[in-house]
Amino acid sequence: MARLVIDPVTRIEGHLRCEAVVADGKVKDAYSSCTMWRGIEVIMKGRDPREAWVFVQRLCGVCTTVHAIASIRAVEDALKIKVPRNADLIRNLIMANQCVQDHVIHFYHLHALDWVDVVSALKADPAKTSELAKTISPWPNNSTTYFKAVQDKLKAFVERGQLGIFSNGYWGHPAYKLPPEANLMAVAHYLEALDWQKEVIKMMAMLGAKNPHPQTFLVGGMAIPIDPESQNAINAGTIAALNKYADMAIEFVEKVYIPDLLAVASFYKDWAKYGGNVNFLACGEYPEANGKMWLPAGIIKNKNLKEIYPVDHKKIQEYITRSYYKYSKGENAGLHPWDGETTPNYTGPKPPYEYLNVDGKYSWGKAPRYEDLPMEVGPLARVLVAYASGHKEVKEAVDMVMKKLGVGPEALFSTLGRTAARGIIALVTAYKTKDFINELAANIKKGDYTIANTEKWDPKTWPAEAKGMGWHDAPRGALSHYIVIKNKKIENYQMVVPSTWNLSPRDHKGVRGPVEEALVNTPVADSKQPLELLRTIHSFDPCMACGMHIVEVKEE
Amino acid sequence: MDICIIGVGNILMQDEGIGPKVAEILRKNYTFEPNIEIIDGGTLGLDLLPYIEKYKKIIIIDVVDFGKEPGFIKILRGEEIPPYLKTKLSVHHVGVQDLLEVARLMGYMPEELVLAGIQPESIDLGLDLSPTMVGKLNELIEEILKILNNWGIKCVLQSLQE
Repeated sequence: MARLVIDPVTRIEGHLRCEAVVADGKVKDAYSSCTMWRGIEVIMKGRDPREAWVFVQRLCGVCTTVHAIASIRAVEDALKIKVPRNADLIRNLIMANQCVQDHVIHFYHLHALDWVDVVSALKADPAKTSELAKTISPWPNNSTTYFKAVQDKLKAFVERGQLGIFSNGYWGHPAYKLPPEANLMAVAHYLEALDWQKEVIKMMAMLGAKNPHPQTFLVGGMAIPIDPESQNAINAGTIAALNKYADMAIEFVEKVYIPDLLAVASFYKDWAKYGGNVNFLACGEYPEANGKMWLPAGIIKNKNLKEIYPVDHKKIQEYITRSYYKYSKGENAGLHPWDGETTPNYTGPKPPYEYLNVDGKYSWGKAPRYEDLPMEVGPLARVLVAYASGHKEVKEAVDMVMKKLGVGPEALFSTLGRTAARGIIALVTAYKTKDFINELAANIKKGDYTIANTEKWDPKTWPAEAKGMGWHDAPRGALSHYIVIKNKKIENYQMVVPSTWNLSPRDHKGVRGPVEEALVNTPVADSKQPLELLRTIHSFDPCMACGMHIVEVKEE
Repeated sequence: MDICIIGVGNILMQDEGIGPKVAEILRKNYTFEPNIEIIDGGTLGLDLLPYIEKYKKIIIIDVVDFGKEPGFIKILRGEEIPPYLKTKLSVHHVGVQDLLEVARLMGYMPEELVLAGIQPESIDLGLDLSPTMVGKLNELIEEILKILNNWGIKCVLQSLQE
């Protein structure tokens, strides 16, 4: 039996590391181990709750806005502040813009190379590639000359001997199934997506007043004025520009991302058999004018799409039985984040080490559980909950994708389903962005310029003690921040990030976390090149492994 | 304006935050003639691509593991940079490495790219730089001003009244 180790950054203890036990060409068991933000409460304790977002938005290098959003929502929840509709709309636009950009980047730049063989693209016939491209999409960049130019660019890059971002790939691996022409088309769109992503995100820069780190969040609303008469506020010109970026997003997702996703997926339908989970949590996102969430919140248990349970954050508990911490209430206790404790208790081997001690504690990540069940969060959870709730746009998009691939809903519970779900969310969110812009424009037209509720801005208006929590269904999944405010200051601050759910280690009952569970039974053609494992790991879009292929593989 | 300074790093991890901190000091305390762009790049990777594309001369300020004593400062240029990124200590190193490799692939590389690196002492969670880093701030800033001078930029220290 072989023990495979996938450790993106072996020199740094932690980050994301997966160990898989492989026998007879299949994964028998798996362990995921990751770092987390230990002791954020040390930095937050004693601070003004209104400035928490400024600090927490620095936690993640990939999604600047997500922690800021969850943080202001937690404070608004604690202080019972109702945010004006315009502020929600601008937040929705920022979140939607980030979500669509993130999902496209994930597909092309972090995940596609698990399915697309870059080196094989060099063998493609540009004329045939052009024919293929024309059959799947009306996207204008589809001529033979165009694909020839892309191929030449790639050739020059590869011939320099520095594969750069394409190094560490398992090029030529037998699990790659695409013909050279499809590979070349995907590489062309990989490059186009790089150009597209830096333009489309300018919507966020406009609304955030500063790129890369937005500056306009505010407890109670947004700190960006609306004034049709002013050059320095949201005005008609802003609306026109927002529409331009929204259209750019729709066009790329509709004409490039989705057709590519379907084309690639059609060669990998066997991946509907691997990488699945059974429990899902979506926290809901994009508040509508009626107070409901556009994408619904819900819990799915044991793959049962007939029964969707409401989400109650009080049912979340974090376990540390297999994590490098200790609790004052003992090893098997589960704590709600408001009562969260973060006392390190490293019992693992002394680095550098070869293998984790998987029989004991083996991760810096805690194990969050909902009613004692592990939960997958992210685009697949969002899609499944919306689909099962009869959400019109999601249902249409899911049905379209399933029809084109010739698969049924059961195929969703898989690595293929997860990757398809991300495209589905990007598509419906890109369309929905236009609604948010139209509503904002209509409000401005009516003379509604309200952007912040400052009734509770003055700490004198606050109770002596308050507790709050903020959800945000971020691109990677349900994110939650928890704040305890005492005497106008932060007393405790905890967060449960999407990767903590997905990359969770085993819990007090020994139940695997979602990534661990998803890896079991994955076929492995060549244990020295565990491409198949990366497909499933990357399909979760784990924060800690961005852009990473593989650095080290060891075999017992 | 064709010169840009990008301070990268995570301000929540002590010395990791020296890039953004130096960027802030330069912005607040100096004027530049002709003017230059100064960016707090945080821990962002690909989001910095537009800046790499836009400017002809770029200085990135960051912590780097040189395998030397804490506070060791080294200025790396062009082709000297990539090998050092592979041994970077910080949690964001994937971002910067990817950023530059993507820029190379896309043909966005600036005419001149400089990495002003400093060996960190501590990258544990915390908002403050270690005492060693604080003691080295002026030297690091001087190195950066020297590069700017060589590029024909006049750097003037403002009176420090705040």
